[in-house]
Amino acid sequence: MFQNLRLSMAWLHTWFGLVLGFVLMIVFFFGALSVFDREIDRWAIPSSRFEAQPMPSFDQVLKPVFETMQPSAERIDQLRNKVNGPVPTHFTTPSVWGAYTTHRDPVLGLFVGYEVPNAKEHDTRVFALRTIDPRSGASLPDDRLKIGSSFFYPMHYSLTFYWKNVGYWIVGLAALIMLAALVSGVIMHRKLFRELFTFRPNKNKQRSLLDLHNLTGVVALPFHFFFAFTGLVIFAGIYFPITHTQLEPLHELHERLDAEETGLPHDRAGVAAPMASVDAMVVEAQRRWAEKGMAGEVGFLAMRHVGDANGYVSIYRAGTDRIALTGEGIHFKAFTGELLREDPPSSAVDSVNEFLTGLHLQHFRHWLLRWLYVLGGLMGCVCIATGFLFFVEKRKRQHAKQGSQGARVVDALAVTTVTGMVVATLGILIANRLLPDSMGAGWPERQAMERYIFWGAWALAMVHAFLRSAPVAQGRLNPAWREQCLAVAGLAVVAVLLNWATTGDHLLRTLSAGYWPVAGVDLFMLAGAMVALFAARKLKQRAQRAPVLRPESSGPAHA
Amino acid sequence: MLGGYVFTWGGIALGVAGLFAAGMEFHDAEHLCNILGFLVFLVVFLWAFAARSMPRVWLVLLGGGGLMTASASLIQHMLV
Repeated sequence: MFQNLRLSMAWLHTWFGLVLGFVLMIVFFFGALSVFDREIDRWAIPSSRFEAQPMPSFDQVLKPVFETMQPSAERIDQLRNKVNGPVPTHFTTPSVWGAYTTHRDPVLGLFVGYEVPNAKEHDTRVFALRTIDPRSGASLPDDRLKIGSSFFYPMHYSLTFYWKNVGYWIVGLAALIMLAALVSGVIMHRKLFRELFTFRPNKNKQRSLLDLHNLTGVVALPFHFFFAFTGLVIFAGIYFPITHTQLEPLHELHERLDAEETGLPHDRAGVAAPMASVDAMVVEAQRRWAEKGMAGEVGFLAMRHVGDANGYVSIYRAGTDRIALTGEGIHFKAFTGELLREDPPSSAVDSVNEFLTGLHLQHFRHWLLRWLYVLGGLMGCVCIATGFLFFVEKRKRQHAKQGSQGARVVDALAVTTVTGMVVATLGILIANRLLPDSMGAGWPERQAMERYIFWGAWALAMVHAFLRSAPVAQGRLNPAWREQCLAVAGLAVVAVLLNWATTGDHLLRTLSAGYWPVAGVDLFMLAGAMVALFAARKLKQRAQRAPVLRPESSGPAHA
Repeated sequence: MLGGYVFTWGGIALGVAGLFAAGMEFHDAEHLCNILGFLVFLVVFLWAFAARSMPRVWLVLLGGGGLMTASASLIQHMLV
């Protein structure tokens, strides 16, 4: 296809980078925000603005809540194609009760997985979710959207496009292309090491853009490669579902052998049995961890085959001081409280896998490293955005002479994906502060409204970007860049002011109380506003300096 | 890309079946092959663009992938 390796890699990098770059901007930006997803949740749900709590008592607090949890109407509805006959409305056989917490969680998320009678496949489950205040056991209203952990974070790995997992596949493809773009980028550039130190902002625009693109790409090259790669590994089960399709029989064989070996029953016995005290099991688990020299908090607690003689409780240690998310699992017989199994240390492969996934998902306590993750993510965004800008700059004068609209379209899409995405993000946060607590009859739920406003704001930004893009077809700057930068600055300040107005938690108060989650979000938005203002000013200066290029002029060709 | 996917699927399938048959713990085999699989996919993807002969690319990817997938099923058949 191409004369040599470098040319083929350059073509791959340019065209695949361009198309999937739009997806990757979303992945990197919301990935960066997701580092502080639970902090954004605090901002969005003022009733959860208190200190992080440890896992509460199972017997006193969790069990009563688990017993009342039923799946939402929406989830029951999704069972329609998975059952023979009418869809059940009430579920009575829980196969798992679970709770997971980290050192950053004030509120606690609980889940119950119910068996589905008349299901076509016997291991179909339907889930019920609830969020509680662990200090009292009181449930939070179901329609408070956790904007950080339940919107920005899923946006990052699935674009919230769940139909047939298409969103996951698009992100997966983008991740693969990201790896290819990094490698092809390295092959294309001869002087890789020198480029780490090259940034000439005062040279012509194309040169500075390319310098910045290379700089942000190379400086964080290991980071970008690592995150794209580990992201793929984390969802390998979706991308290569080999062990649940072609090799499913092998998987079943292993599960049966494993159950015999570990003593953890695979199925229910069909005999009802009461529960022993789980709190006592937790105490025993913590005693055993301390004995091994790794005293710690409970991270994940799960009870399987609830209410059955084969039921067992699994208690995992929170990975606050480790890379692995949770570990040192200890399992107890639910009926008697006796120890069934203490998980052995991980095998070599397992340790590698835990390390890779744990570094990506970062639930550990290390604030500096987390901020570096945000920085890396934002550098990825800058790398991709400068890629777009370079693409447009390189071609717009050519396209202007040819009367082509190509550069214009790409530029408008770039505005939509860079500033437009930030506008949408601020839009949902503002909507979060302004929408009433309950929407009233005839309106969609509050959390649905917040999502609609997010997409609506983004669509508006896109329309604006396209409407204002005519100058690009003449080789000039799109005024939408500056206009959206100003919008971003304005919206960010409005969001911070709204936080003050609607919750009373203004910056002086949150900073003096040392309540960093909310102060951090406010400060981050204000910093963003300053960057946007600075950019807007620079763009104004550039627009005033740039000469106008007439399409019919036969000036020197610039490519 | 499709060729690369088929090739990688075959590679992972054969890897998992083979390693499990050889005694490695199932989930270990699965995770190891997934990790290696994505690296293989990346290399194969880049090669497909850089290679000079398209028919050769298709032969290796679909042919190799198909062969490995079939071998995996054969191993499974012997174990289950």
